[in-house]
Amino acid sequence: MIKRLTVLSLIFLLVFPLAADAGIPLDTVKGHVNSILDVLRDPALKGESGKKTKKDKIRAISEKMFDYTELSRRTLGPNWNKFNAGQQKDFIELYRSILEDAYVDKITSYTDEKVLFNKENTLSEKTSEVQTTIVTKKADIPISYRVISRGDTWRVYDVVIEGVSLISNYRSQFKEILMNKTPDALLDTLRKKVGKA
Amino acid sequence: MKQTGIYLLALIACMAILVPSLYADSSSPVSGPPVQVSTDIPETAQPPQPETTAAGETSGTEAETEFTEDEGNAITIADPIYPWNKAMYHFNDKLYFWVLKPVAKGYSSVMPEDIRIATRNFFSNLTTPVRFVGCLLQLRIKDAGNELVRFVYNSTAGVLGLADAAKADFNIVRRNEDVGQALGSYGIGHGFYIVWPFIGPSSLRDTVGWAGDYFLDPVSYVNPVEASLGIRTYDEVNETSLRIGDYEDLKEAAIDPYVSIRNAYIQYRQKKVDE
Repeated sequence: MIKRLTVLSLIFLLVFPLAADAGIPLDTVKGHVNSILDVLRDPALKGESGKKTKKDKIRAISEKMFDYTELSRRTLGPNWNKFNAGQQKDFIELYRSILEDAYVDKITSYTDEKVLFNKENTLSEKTSEVQTTIVTKKADIPISYRVISRGDTWRVYDVVIEGVSLISNYRSQFKEILMNKTPDALLDTLRKKVGKA
Repeated sequence: MKQTGIYLLALIACMAILVPSLYADSSSPVSGPPVQVSTDIPETAQPPQPETTAAGETSGTEAETEFTEDEGNAITIADPIYPWNKAMYHFNDKLYFWVLKPVAKGYSSVMPEDIRIATRNFFSNLTTPVRFVGCLLQLRIKDAGNELVRFVYNSTAGVLGLADAAKADFNIVRRNEDVGQALGSYGIGHGFYIVWPFIGPSSLRDTVGWAGDYFLDPVSYVNPVEASLGIRTYDEVNETSLRIGDYEDLKEAAIDPYVSIRNAYIQYRQKKVDE
């Protein structure tokens, strides 16, 4: 009840000073995160047998939630142009697998924690940041989702956990690798990693 | 007392020497290094060089910098002692998996989580002076006051700091400020990346900060030295027991864990300074 009021008043406050669709990023992210949490907490999917179904369902949701092309472009940065079209496609696929594995593995360990949707900051005319907090017994973990407007939906292009941006972190790794390897060699490294996981 | 004074003087002298060099260093914007980076890439793009050992050798003499596309924040740190850092990273990695994790696992199997959280609160309460001074040095008077309030309230209502009562009752949260962050807020750059055995990732600035923190941490003044070390070790084991899984997840998600940790470290510190 109180939470709903808070969200409503937040949206109310946001609508006035900013553009008409200001509340939508937060709603969008909230919708996706909540559907993921629903899958995680579904009692019908408990245990080892439910794990695969859980992962598949979460993958389907993350497909709608994230903009993997944008993610890939921003991660490689200036190196994006070193990849030809075919390599770019491969990269997007492989990068997506890696991220999904990492995200899903991490998130399946959270079940009973509370997720608070705090506020939304507009970063630029097309991008926005939704700040959330995961309240666990041991600590409060601030997680921000950076979203970009794509047509009439908002999609996530970066996740910032405790101040560490996913894109920046992977970018530094890929930059390091690409200083010594060709794009194809990088794709091979990624394939091996995905194959292992 | 006199000895402490001398150490403090030495610390200030170090800072006086380091500050000019640090100001000239890593916080310098995109002038020299992009030239470095852009000439590197075409060279190495054609002949596929063997593995990452090449990176280790080439960075032996010159500072290996990394730049990110400027999305508003360019997070960079020089890594001139890369071979040492990489070796220390491997050492810490093995230490974690062979020693720290098994011990922490054993410990957590006999100690319920609630007690371990209480222990963490207890140790955290003891290190209030570090956070207090860290806040003061950044002229965050209100936060410094909050730390004091937390200390008093948690030590009494929170029973010697075992419970974080200030957070539960008044939502006054802990501010993890330290001397290293204070230095950062003065505009002092990291200097360069250092990985210490046992302690983990740091930088030149933050290491100097730790030296400062050392004198503010009550545990440092416990005699004999073995007891002080023992207490710190216990704290470390306890803390690790609450975080088993985090390091493994990070490694699992990373393509190159060493670079990932280095980057995560400076992003994290940057955020703490910005806060």
